[in-house]
Amino acid sequence: MPRYGMVIDETKCVGCHACRVACHNQNNLEEKEAYNHLEEREYGKFPNFTREFLPVQCQHCDNPPCVKVCPTGASHKRKDGVVLVNKDKCIGCKYCIAACPYNVRIIKKEGYIEKCRFCIEFVEKGEMPACVTTCMTGVRMFGDLDDPESEISKYIIKHRLKQYKAELNTKPRIYYRKG
Amino acid sequence: MNFHKLRLTRRGFLKVTGATAGAISIGSNILDFKQWVEASIQTPIQKIPTICNGCGNRCGINAFVKNGRVWKIEGIPEANGNLGVVCPKGHGYLHDLYSPYRIKGPLKRVGDKFQSISWEQAYQEIAQKINLIILQNGPQSIFWVNYPQSNHLYALRLMHALGSPHYFTHGSTCYTARNAGWVTTVGELPSVDLSNSKYIMIIGRNPAGAIDLGQVKRIIEAKSKGAKLVVVDPRHSETAIIADEWIPIKPGTDLALLLAMINIMVKEELYDKKFVAEKTIGFDQLEEQIFNYPPEWAEKVCEVPSKTIIRITRELAQAKPKALIHRGYHGAFGAQYLNSFQTVRALAIANSLLGNINREGGIYFPKVAKLGELQPNHPAPELPKVGKLDGTGVPGRYPLGSYGDGIAHAIPELALRGELIGGFVYHYNPLRTNPNPKRVIAGYKKLELLVVIDTVLSETASIAHYVLPESFYLERTEAIDTKHSGKRAQVSIQQQVVKPMYNTRPGTQIIIELAKHLGIGKYFNFDIDEANRLRLKPLKVTLEELKEKGVLFVGEEWKEGFDKLETPSGKVEIYSKTLEKLGFPAIPRWEEPLVSPDPKDPHSFRLIHGKQAIHTHSMTANQPILMSISHRYDLIRLWMNKKRGEQLGIRDGDWIKVKSIIGEGKIRVRLTEGIHPSCVWLPSGYGIFSKHLKVAYDIGLSYNDFLPTYFDPTVGHVMASEIIVNITKI
Repeated sequence: MPRYGMVIDETKCVGCHACRVACHNQNNLEEKEAYNHLEEREYGKFPNFTREFLPVQCQHCDNPPCVKVCPTGASHKRKDGVVLVNKDKCIGCKYCIAACPYNVRIIKKEGYIEKCRFCIEFVEKGEMPACVTTCMTGVRMFGDLDDPESEISKYIIKHRLKQYKAELNTKPRIYYRKG
Repeated sequence: MNFHKLRLTRRGFLKVTGATAGAISIGSNILDFKQWVEASIQTPIQKIPTICNGCGNRCGINAFVKNGRVWKIEGIPEANGNLGVVCPKGHGYLHDLYSPYRIKGPLKRVGDKFQSISWEQAYQEIAQKINLIILQNGPQSIFWVNYPQSNHLYALRLMHALGSPHYFTHGSTCYTARNAGWVTTVGELPSVDLSNSKYIMIIGRNPAGAIDLGQVKRIIEAKSKGAKLVVVDPRHSETAIIADEWIPIKPGTDLALLLAMINIMVKEELYDKKFVAEKTIGFDQLEEQIFNYPPEWAEKVCEVPSKTIIRITRELAQAKPKALIHRGYHGAFGAQYLNSFQTVRALAIANSLLGNINREGGIYFPKVAKLGELQPNHPAPELPKVGKLDGTGVPGRYPLGSYGDGIAHAIPELALRGELIGGFVYHYNPLRTNPNPKRVIAGYKKLELLVVIDTVLSETASIAHYVLPESFYLERTEAIDTKHSGKRAQVSIQQQVVKPMYNTRPGTQIIIELAKHLGIGKYFNFDIDEANRLRLKPLKVTLEELKEKGVLFVGEEWKEGFDKLETPSGKVEIYSKTLEKLGFPAIPRWEEPLVSPDPKDPHSFRLIHGKQAIHTHSMTANQPILMSISHRYDLIRLWMNKKRGEQLGIRDGDWIKVKSIIGEGKIRVRLTEGIHPSCVWLPSGYGIFSKHLKVAYDIGLSYNDFLPTYFDPTVGHVMASEIIVNITKI
């Protein structure tokens, strides 16, 4: 069974938000809801200056704090690596929101918690997540991290990629390439 | 009909209902979003190719429909313009189909209010008034202005059938200096072969922010093959983020940089000697004059270090001919400064010295589909007997102006002078997108008849006598389109995806029906399908094939090189006799911008502007999903250099007052190291003042509020960045 993961190449993100709106449509989100967001950072002094965008979404951690604190088992880790919320079990206690160091969970109007699902229903049918396919600069790569021959596995090794806030021991399944 | 072959290309999971033909009818639950989400789980999905209308790029998209409601769009991989991807505006704009701000039927102004009327009444009354105006003032007193859609041909036909030369595009506010500079030098507006280039220099253009998806994808491809990208821009643009080098230039001085680059190429003999000898004229005169512009001089003018100018020029020359300086669009020299035309001339000449004209990895002449004519089946009207009154193409007025585009922002002036009496505004909003709104409003209000064709009550629609509601782009089939040019031409089609929700009609149908009521129906004895078939005929593809795929390649592949250009000499005109005769510099020489900030006044800045990836002109600010991003990320602010801000006691996020000679406004500041100290940058797309558009109303500012009415002396463009503002903390 594949165990999915993602690479995000920060050096290519221009901050256009296409990923956010593509995700919005794919997942039928409400007006202000979003499963991914961008953190913009500036470096240097004029004229030696640059800036970059850090796209952040659910990191689908292998050691997920959200799952640990969930009192009902609504937040759960699947065998394919994806972290999901079972909305029927979710009681909206928001423990997971407090526990998640990436600030990527939202409260739906109905009261349950949601977040990036790696578009898993579409991935299972052979598609790529919407944030991957819409991107004009190709920021994201998606694939099977368990397969050492997969493009994504090779890419992570070749560029020695690291996870975001890896020091928290959350063991995220998203790897970042930095400038 | 659209879906017969989808099964062959579809991914397995989508169940396509093969029996459905044409657009999908509206379900009863279409407006209740939540109900629709529940109902749509596990329902069949239809995929219909069409053309996005979220900006002018007209990207090829597949629209996905669930339960009669458009769910999402994806890019068509083959489409030259977007190569399979979609931008945030495209994803967001589709929701305007379900916007409560849509105009639901024809409207007539009665006093201060709009009254609903029938199409028939609207057509009859408009036709009566137009014919009366023509009788009293002549046909030239009627105009049509639009942001060109694929059906602009029919609008032009309508004006010609009436006998009026006054068809306008938005060009004078956008790109006419760029076009004229290229046409004068190489005979036509070229494209850029980004993916095969080894060295890409971009001045002012920002395809990653003012989005051109195909260009960005091709830049990324070139970079993956080792190309270098240099971005020259007063602001650290979105394209600068993916560049190897950002060169923050003093705005309005790009011409000085280019003159110095040409100087170095000539002095160090870095140019392509064979190309220059065989394919250009006037190099000798250039050689004589260019010594006035050494890089040390340019450094003082444009504030780019001379050693940087020398290094960049040598790097470009080393990579030639697979090296290019981007042809540009609006930014930097499309319609920005008094010196924009000469800037484009210098840019085209610098490219020519690299020998890159119509070469792989350089500047190239794209293949554009050559559509068939409606004649002889449908004879064309005679050309109008009088010329445009805006002065395009007239020596002594705007001799290099594009007659086809006209000068859109001259319409209010011509109206105030009583020369234009009535007109149509289609897919365009001059009250917000033209300079000096007070003057524009005065001009358009003076008209005896203003008919606006739009989907929402824009600023311009709000003051119209009649508003004709156009169907949303996903609801209508339109004229076939040749916008997707490239190494091989493409034709594409915008086609109906869902049936119209309201009493609206497609633009082309409105033109045809107007013509019939105006008594010129004999020139419009066709419907859109027949017209499309006739125009496709020479391309050897059928309308059915095109509707099935959305985008089709046609014609020959592009080939490198050229025998003869479309210039008078057939060569690259480094020296232009045309310009000499008109009294303009025949070889580019330095010209100051019209206005400059006072270096001694800490409150004085040049106001420049540019697009954000999430907004198009004035048409997306009222889109709640896109506007929520503007708010969430504080994108409505004015960019100001940090040091300059601190000198004025301004902190990041503070409110400030911005004042020019024609207007003032309040806005919050983004203090950043990423902008040249001499200017402030305002995102375009905000400053909506139509009270009908409640999501966007009174949020942010538009640079047009500060820009006086200018006409540059070459083409009559707006000179959009010739604005000095005084900034104070509130």
